[in-house]
Amino acid sequence: MSIFHGMNTTASALTAQRLRMDVISSNMANVDTTRAKMVDGEWQAYKRKTVTLQPQGANFSSFLNVALGTSSKDSVGNGVKVSSINEDTETPYKLVYDPTHIDANDEGYVEMPNVDPLREMVDLISATRSYEANVTVFNANKSMLSKALEIGK
Amino acid sequence: MAIEAISLFQPNQINAVQISDKTTVSEAQHNFGDFLKNAIESVNENQKTSDVLTEKLINGEDVELHNVMIASQKASITLNATLEIRNKVVEAYQEIMRMQV
Amino acid sequence: MIEVNELDIFGGTISNLERGLNFSATKQKAIAQNIANIDTPNYKSKTVSFDTYLSDAKKSSISSYRTTEKHINFEMKNGNVGISSRNNLSYRNNGNGVDMDKEQADLATNQIYYNALVDRVSGKLNTLQTVIRGGS
Repeated sequence: MSIFHGMNTTASALTAQRLRMDVISSNMANVDTTRAKMVDGEWQAYKRKTVTLQPQGANFSSFLNVALGTSSKDSVGNGVKVSSINEDTETPYKLVYDPTHIDANDEGYVEMPNVDPLREMVDLISATRSYEANVTVFNANKSMLSKALEIGK
Repeated sequence: MAIEAISLFQPNQINAVQISDKTTVSEAQHNFGDFLKNAIESVNENQKTSDVLTEKLINGEDVELHNVMIASQKASITLNATLEIRNKVVEAYQEIMRMQV
Repeated sequence: MIEVNELDIFGGTISNLERGLNFSATKQKAIAQNIANIDTPNYKSKTVSFDTYLSDAKKSSISSYRTTEKHINFEMKNGNVGISSRNNLSYRNNGNGVDMDKEQADLATNQIYYNALVDRVSGKLNTLQTVIRGGS
């Protein structure tokens, strides 16, 4: 914990949003991938990935540290982290009728990845907006610290 | 009609203006000695506080930047204040030494 | 008899300015944390109460209640007091309680507040320096 605590918080948020954007890019890139994983001898289509965000620093050990006096900044928290990247198993695969496709099943349907480009674009806009907001916070923090350095000049 | 003179002071008021308990010379010196001692102690305290906060800043510990800056300014101000007091005391002493007896 | 116990030229306005600066710094951290967690599910926004900082700094630390000497004596440091979460507020379906526009507005206000207080404390300290040095 130091004078840069606020900057560390914001940095963690920038990292998390960047990772979220990377996952979205991966989803968009694989919108047509029918052979993503080999399961039981059969190819499975690409499953859409999502990230789960979790606030950092709001667990028992941080509260204990605050109570013991070894650290007093953790009560505010340390930012955000991506706790896991999950596959979206709830949305079903899109079925497209194409009997000529190599991966068509017996009825002639091909299982396409469950990636909806519109939804991914909305997520991307949200991630970008969050990223920009955190950049604003970072600049504000930096300007406040620079101003404090001029006390007494 | 007769105009009475305006008197700003009633005769008995002049006595009341005097200091009720007189401070002797030794008491005055003692008070000033205490004051100077306290001033020097406070300089030391402020310098120590400023040093502690600066150490915390260096080690990246739990401290706010504005507190460090303000503490260092306070240390500087108290130091200057005590220096000026010392200068004035020395000046006064030299002034008295110059007096022709 | 005039009693002068200590050289107390830093009381009053300067100590109030320091308290305001401490509050503003903690609020900045809370705002940073809120904006960082704008997309986290079930995160509730944190606020800082100003009244905790108005009172005497020593009173705002909580020490432990000990019944025997063997109990560990720990104190909540008054570094970051007055922080609370708005647990009933929910803006989005994922339970997130952060209002981005309010946080941005608070960020701008807080920055101006902090800069103003830094200006004032700097001015007062410089005045003291000038006054003290001005005699020589």
